[in-house]
Amino acid sequence: MNAFRFSTVGLDTAALQREMRDESCGGFASFEGWVRNHNEGHAVTRLEYEAYAELAEKEGARIVEEARTRFGVTRAACVHRVGSLALGDVAVWVGVSAAHRDEAFRACRFIIDEVKHRVPIWKKEHYVNGDSGWVNCERCALPAAHTHEHTHEPHHHVETPTPDYSRQIALREVGVEGQARLRSASVLVVGAGGLGVPVLQYLAGAGVGRLGIIDADRLEPSNLHRQTWYALAECGQEKSSLAATRVRALNPEVRVESHALRLDAHNAERLCAGHDLILDCSDNFATKFLLNDLALRTGKPVLFASVYQYEGQLQLVRGDNATACLRCVWPEATRDGLVGNCAEAGVLGPVPGVFGSLQALEALKLLLGLPGLKPDEMLIFDLITLNTQRLRARRAPGCDAHRRATSSASAAAPPDLELQFGSLAEAQADGFAFVDVRDSREREAEPLPGESLHLPMSKLLTDAGNLDLAGRYLLICATGKRSSAAAALLRSHGFADCRSLRGGLKSLKASA
Amino acid sequence: MPERAASERTSERTIRVQYYALLREQAGRSDETLTTAALNPRELYVELQARYPFTLPPEMLRVAINAEFGEWSQALKAGDAVVFIPPVAGG
Repeated sequence: MNAFRFSTVGLDTAALQREMRDESCGGFASFEGWVRNHNEGHAVTRLEYEAYAELAEKEGARIVEEARTRFGVTRAACVHRVGSLALGDVAVWVGVSAAHRDEAFRACRFIIDEVKHRVPIWKKEHYVNGDSGWVNCERCALPAAHTHEHTHEPHHHVETPTPDYSRQIALREVGVEGQARLRSASVLVVGAGGLGVPVLQYLAGAGVGRLGIIDADRLEPSNLHRQTWYALAECGQEKSSLAATRVRALNPEVRVESHALRLDAHNAERLCAGHDLILDCSDNFATKFLLNDLALRTGKPVLFASVYQYEGQLQLVRGDNATACLRCVWPEATRDGLVGNCAEAGVLGPVPGVFGSLQALEALKLLLGLPGLKPDEMLIFDLITLNTQRLRARRAPGCDAHRRATSSASAAAPPDLELQFGSLAEAQADGFAFVDVRDSREREAEPLPGESLHLPMSKLLTDAGNLDLAGRYLLICATGKRSSAAAALLRSHGFADCRSLRGGLKSLKASA
Repeated sequence: MPERAASERTSERTIRVQYYALLREQAGRSDETLTTAALNPRELYVELQARYPFTLPPEMLRVAINAEFGEWSQALKAGDAVVFIPPVAGG
């Protein structure tokens, strides 16, 4: 259903509430606006609502989406009545379900306030004396309460500000088209420390549509001289979620997901899937080489930055067979602990700031198709002497990482995505575990026989749950459409033996 | 013999050397111009190891000659700019 919609008939709030049900949610908050019998001293008998539907639906949907990203709630919807309403009728309904009550309450309040403020809806009141009148468009009459709470000054309106990219759109090389490119881009930032902070700030500010953040560490007081986005009082908290919160505050249009974990050989492919570009802002060789090998395996570009005291290095690995990778440049013997990181060697705060900013700059240029650092060179910048050098690096003919990547790429072709079965028992005999991607309501209405994992599409888009990378799974939905998309998605995350039941449950009924 | 002294002198060349990261720390300088008889970067590095407390073996480093990553055995010529650089990982 649409997150925001109009209804010409009375609202079935019980049915609406059911749409908000989700097993991952621990709280549901709703708001109902009712038609009351008086307004500004006039006794009211009934109301008529009218909306500029095309514009209103778009704006309403934007508000609900903003609430979802700003507060991180699972489901949210708003339905507004149009047409003629009697006293006591529900004029507007807002429902939000979330893991915890606080975000549910806040998102609910945000939606109704913003809808009142921004969505073009007019109401005509009919009074006891037979008169009627169009009441001011609510968006003009009511400022959003959360932007200035409890104020009664009628002419002091505060607009909720929206992201404005005009200063970069003004660049001939960016323009509206470039902005759209940034909006459709997805970047994974590995490390939310000295490099990651400026990277995330500038990418979020620029309106990159989706950002992934990986960092296993918690904030420490010794981080703050270079990670100046954070606050001393936040020490002890996970950096990944602190960074995600700040990205949302800076630009609510950015879809952001954070992972408080360390990238390793098991999760790397899954975490990198779905992103167009990976930025290595990590502080260790193990992560850097892992990302390098992943770039070669998947062909996904990785932009590396590393700093040391007063200097740093920047390198772009394209992931192709023709250009240099990290291992083409650095000897296999490179290991953590031998040449020092920030903790051991010390670093002046602005040094990672400069390199993170350079990384953000190169990332935006890559996404916009502007010239920049070439895949066959390394930029080194000595911030003591302010000397920069671009060292030419060639693809090493004996590079092991390149050899491994090309030999595994030509390995087994992926098996068919969709499989047809006469019954689920047949599939089970074939060794498949069932994954039900339908939502909870469908699952209740038509349960699967025997055991199955429940991983609704809404969840699966961001998290593969407890699925095992090596597992043999048959994904099931009503018609086979969602399960096919889900299987393709899981495949891209490295779940190799993942299939979709062709035609879904419907096909089983037909064959039974 | 004078001939021999002359040939030794002509085999010496002036080279600009730059140090990065740990090497800069250990050399106590970012760059210098020196006259050396070293035929290639490996010989040059060995020569420098006698002068500075370098702890990293050449296997842990890369050398770049005239802004291009090169080989330790590559011949050096007068006027070359040589960069000794270790990998760094700070973030």
